[in-house]
Formats: sequence, C-alpha cells, structure tokens
Amino acid sequence: MELLEVKNLSKHYKNFDLKDISFTLPKGYIMGYVGANGSGKTTTLNLITGILKGNEGEVSIDGLSCEKDARGYKEKIGYVGDDCYFPAHFKIKHIRAVLKDFYPTFSTDQFNSFIRNWKLPENKLIKDFSRGMKVMLMFASVFARDTKLLVLDEATNGLDPVMRTEIMKLLQEYVMDGERSVIFSTHILSDLEQIADYIYFIHGGKTVLYDAKDELIDNFLLVKGETAKIPSALKKELIGLDEKAYGFEAILPSDKAELLGGEFLFEKPTIDQIVIHYITSQMPK
Amino acid sequence: MKIIISNQSELPIYAQIREQLKEQILNGQITEGSTLPSIRQLAKEVGVSVITTTRAYSELEAEGFIATMQGKGSVVLPTDNSLLREQALLRIEEGLSTAIETAKTMGMSVEELRDIFDNLLET
Amino acid sequence: MRAFYFMKIDYIMTRKQLYFIPFFCLLALVIGKNAGMEDMSLLVACSYLLFMSTIFATTPFAYSVGKNREFLLLFPATVTERVVGRFLFGLSFEGVLGLFCFMIVGVNMLIGVKTPLWMLGILLCGCAVGIITVTLEFLLFYLFGEGKDNWQYLSNIVRITPGMALFFGSSYLSAALEKAMASDMGMNLEAMSGRLLQAGVIAVAVALLLTAAAVAICVKVIEKRDYA
Repeated sequence: MELLEVKNLSKHYKNFDLKDISFTLPKGYIMGYVGANGSGKTTTLNLITGILKGNEGEVSIDGLSCEKDARGYKEKIGYVGDDCYFPAHFKIKHIRAVLKDFYPTFSTDQFNSFIRNWKLPENKLIKDFSRGMKVMLMFASVFARDTKLLVLDEATNGLDPVMRTEIMKLLQEYVMDGERSVIFSTHILSDLEQIADYIYFIHGGKTVLYDAKDELIDNFLLVKGETAKIPSALKKELIGLDEKAYGFEAILPSDKAELLGGEFLFEKPTIDQIVIHYITSQMPK
Repeated sequence: MKIIISNQSELPIYAQIREQLKEQILNGQITEGSTLPSIRQLAKEVGVSVITTTRAYSELEAEGFIATMQGKGSVVLPTDNSLLREQALLRIEEGLSTAIETAKTMGMSVEELRDIFDNLLET
Repeated sequence: MRAFYFMKIDYIMTRKQLYFIPFFCLLALVIGKNAGMEDMSLLVACSYLLFMSTIFATTPFAYSVGKNREFLLLFPATVTERVVGRFLFGLSFEGVLGLFCFMIVGVNMLIGVKTPLWMLGILLCGCAVGIITVTLEFLLFYLFGEGKDNWQYLSNIVRITPGMALFFGSSYLSAALEKAMASDMGMNLEAMSGRLLQAGVIAVAVALLLTAAAVAICVKVIEKRDYA
C-alpha cells in the first residue's frame, strides 16, 4: 500500500533543474532523502508539501493530489522545516488558535502536553526561542493532529545528540501502526541512517541511487588499500577514488568484488560513505 | 530476549538480529511457543528500520525457527521440527484442497485428477 | 469560512498596528477641529482616517514574505480562501473606520451639532474611494509583488502614495466645498442632498463589486504561479 507516490517530477529554474524524480513510499516506512546542499532536496520536499508547483509530473498522498483537493491533501501532511516557519512575533497561544481553526483533528490537550513536556515557553515570542525549541514547537504542532505523512526538511540540523535521539524515537513511534510514513531530507545521515527504510539520493537535481537502505549497503563495498597496487580493471569500477598519501579509499559495487583479489581491505560501507564517494566521483578533477 | 547491535560488526544489522535470535532460540533462552515482539515493535526498541527487522524475521521463518501467523505475531517453533511438520502438513492440505476445488468447478472426474497427481509425482 | 481564518492570521501578524488605531482616530478629530472650517472639519477628519486605513490595510503584504509565506501556504485551504481572507482584512479596516466616521456624525447629532445630509453622501463616496484604493493596491501587490522577497522598497511606495493622494485630494475638496458653501452653491448642495446620498450608496456598491472582480483576477493570477 503506497502512501506517497512521486512520478516524473520536474521543476525548472534559471540556474537549476530538478529532473524526473520518481519514487514510492509505502505506508509505515521511513525514507531518507539524501544529497549535498543545493542538490534539490528542499525543492522536492516543497513540491510534496504543495508550497511549490512542479512543471511536470505528479505527486499523490493516499491517492489525493494537491491540484484536485488542496484541502484534503494538505491536511494529511505534517511539515517540519529547517527554519521555523511560524512568524517570529507569534506566541504559542497564537499558533494554538490558528492551528485549531484550520485542522479539525487538532487536539489542544495533546498540543499542551507536548508544550509542557518539552518545556516550551508560553509567553515568549517565537523569535526568542532557541533553535531546539523552535524545532520541538514544529513537532508539537504536527503531532497534535492527525497526519499521514511527515515531511522533515533538515529538521535535526544543529540539534544536540539528546534531541536527535528523542526525535528518532518520535519518528519510529509515528510509523509504528503501519499506516503513516516519514520522508526526511538531510545532508548528513549519521544517527538517522539506522531508522531509514529507504534511501533516495540526488545530486545536481538528478537521481543517483534509490533503493531499500539494506540493499544499498549490501550492493556496495568500501575498499581501502595501497594506491599503487590498483589494477586498471579495478580502477575503472571504483567510485569516488580518494587517493591519499598512504592509501586510497573508494566504493565498489559488490558484484565487482572478484576484481579485488586478496590485495585490499574491504568492509560494508555506511550510507554516508556511499554518498560522499558518489559526490566526489561527479566533481571535476 | 536481548539484542545488541554493533556498528563495528562485519555482519549487516538484519543478520546480527537473525543470528542473536537464532542463538537464543537454540540455547533455550527464548522458549518454544513464545511470541516474539512484532516487527515494528522490535524496530522501535532496537532503533533500526522496519525493513531490517522484517528481513531478519523472514529469514528466521525460512529457516524454520519461527512461524508468523496473521494477527498472532511471530511464534517460536520447537527446534525438533514437529510443529514445523504440522505447519507443512497444513500447507499441503490447503494446496491440495484448492486443486480439488478447481477440478470440481471444471467438472473433472476423480480418475483424471488422480492421473494428474500421479504424473506430477513422477516428474 | 477558512477565509476568515486567514483574516485572523493577518490580524495576529499585524496586531501591533492595532494599538495605534485609537491614537490615529483621536488625531483625526484634532486635525479636523483645527482645520478651521466649521462644517468641513468632519470631512477633513474622515479623509485623514481614510488615508490611514489604506496604509494599515496593506501591512500583511509586508509580513507575508519568505518563511511567513510558507506558513500560510502550508494550511489546508484553496487559493480563493487565502486571497479572500486578505481582502477581508483590508476591507475590515475600511469598514471599521467608515463606522467610526458615522459614529462621529451620531455623536455630533447627540450634542446638537447638525450634520447636513449631503455630507453623509460625500462620506459614503469617501468610503467607496477608500475601498477602491485598497482594492487597487491589493491588485498591484498580487500581480507584481506577492511572493517576491525583494519587493519591500517598491511596496512602501505603493502603500503610501494612494493614501497621501487621498488625504491631499480630500483636503483640497473640503476647501473647495467650503468656498462653494460661502457662495450660492450651498443652497444647491442642500437641494441635492437626496441625490448625493443615493450616489454615495451606489458608489459603495460599485466599489464592492470592483473588489469582487479584483479577487477573481488575483485568484486566477495566483493559481498560475508556481506555488499552490
């Protein structure tokens, strides 16, 4: 059962093109949307939340499209951005009032208990909140109502490890009932990598890799060794060869493992290592 | 039941979960007939993805250590395989009865059906 | 219904300026009294209020840029609801300040100062001009400014120019009327009272129709833009 379907999504700008993004996210799963800064992550997520309109392609959530039913579509989405989108001179009481107006499923009690648990100040203006408080406020506003899809755009950037762990738990609880899904974008995966079921990796607006995370990790090897010993047959297959003074590091598709012989050290890579080597492989030398 | 994930291990996470569960089932720490936590519960508790725990469970199931039943969760099978045999019997009966049902709707005779069965056995 | 929710957001966003409204009303009264034109003081006061209201009405446009615009776009609502909400906010200022003008008339009547009927007609026309000004400003904002972050500088000109024009225009009109009153025209104005009152009501109705048309145009334009 697919919750989010993205088909051939494209968006053209003067100096940037997001091209042909396609994926599906089934109910109850978490997707990590990965790429360097400026690779098109935020553009994609804005197209999903309906803040932006694409030039080509379509997005549907639980079978609804934003063009046909903007209200029903947007009600299903909970969005947490990298920057706080609540107006700087709002207070929590203003946000509560506005959310109550717009969302029939908004629960004031739930919202208040989040505010209490996370010790968010009722009487301060949003602009005087710390970065962590702003993020938690956005989470409170999203978790206090019924949503199907959580869209997080670099939401955990600049948060301390304790908070990141707390958010990881919240996300796993969110998908627990198998009905709701999460898509989050990030330029560093680290701790979030563990809970992601799928990875979509874009670079320069184009799809590089898209698969279940476990498959991706199975499909690649992190290879290390002496640069001088790399045979030319192997060198062609190495991705993002990083030559250092005392050795090299690169990514190799697992099905090319027989080229390694016994000369090199290899281990299972992290998603971050795959991403970094792919990005270096695309940089002009 | 305990599961400890190491990021340094050469084994992928799903394999670590599979091996640790297997070990505990074999040495009796997890008793037969007991129910394992649901796939999603386990994913949350261990802090790994749902697909990872799904894979660990389905491999355990394929190896005959657990059986997953709709609505009941994953039950640890006896390692002497008697429950496994019972399960297999059930599946054979199910398969055969659908075959018989189909034959009936086609109006096939018992002899014809036997012929097919015998032929299949010989190949 | 959601249009009203958007109006409410605009009110919360611009809530600081609300504190200034009583102050400006008082100021309007003082300016009116000091205008030194017996009958015309009311007109001067009202034209000053009209000037202020057109500036107040457009404040949300200055706020709804960048992240704040994202905030509005995230809400489950149609483009129409969002645009109508903004217009309701603008018109509510005309409404409230228009009411205030007529309250002054009422108070004047209570304390025994008679306001000529023809002046009520002119007041209504003034309200119509206020509504049309706000509508035109909104149209300009939606056609050229909304959604663009570097629009601030020009937006200040758009916000203040019509108000100034209204203020000086009506001050000039008041002075001209004062002169006319001194001559035979005064009698004519009295005679035309009924017609002027009618004209005022029609002007307000036409202004509201124009606003409705402007809303329709804005919605069409926004729907074609690259944000939903």
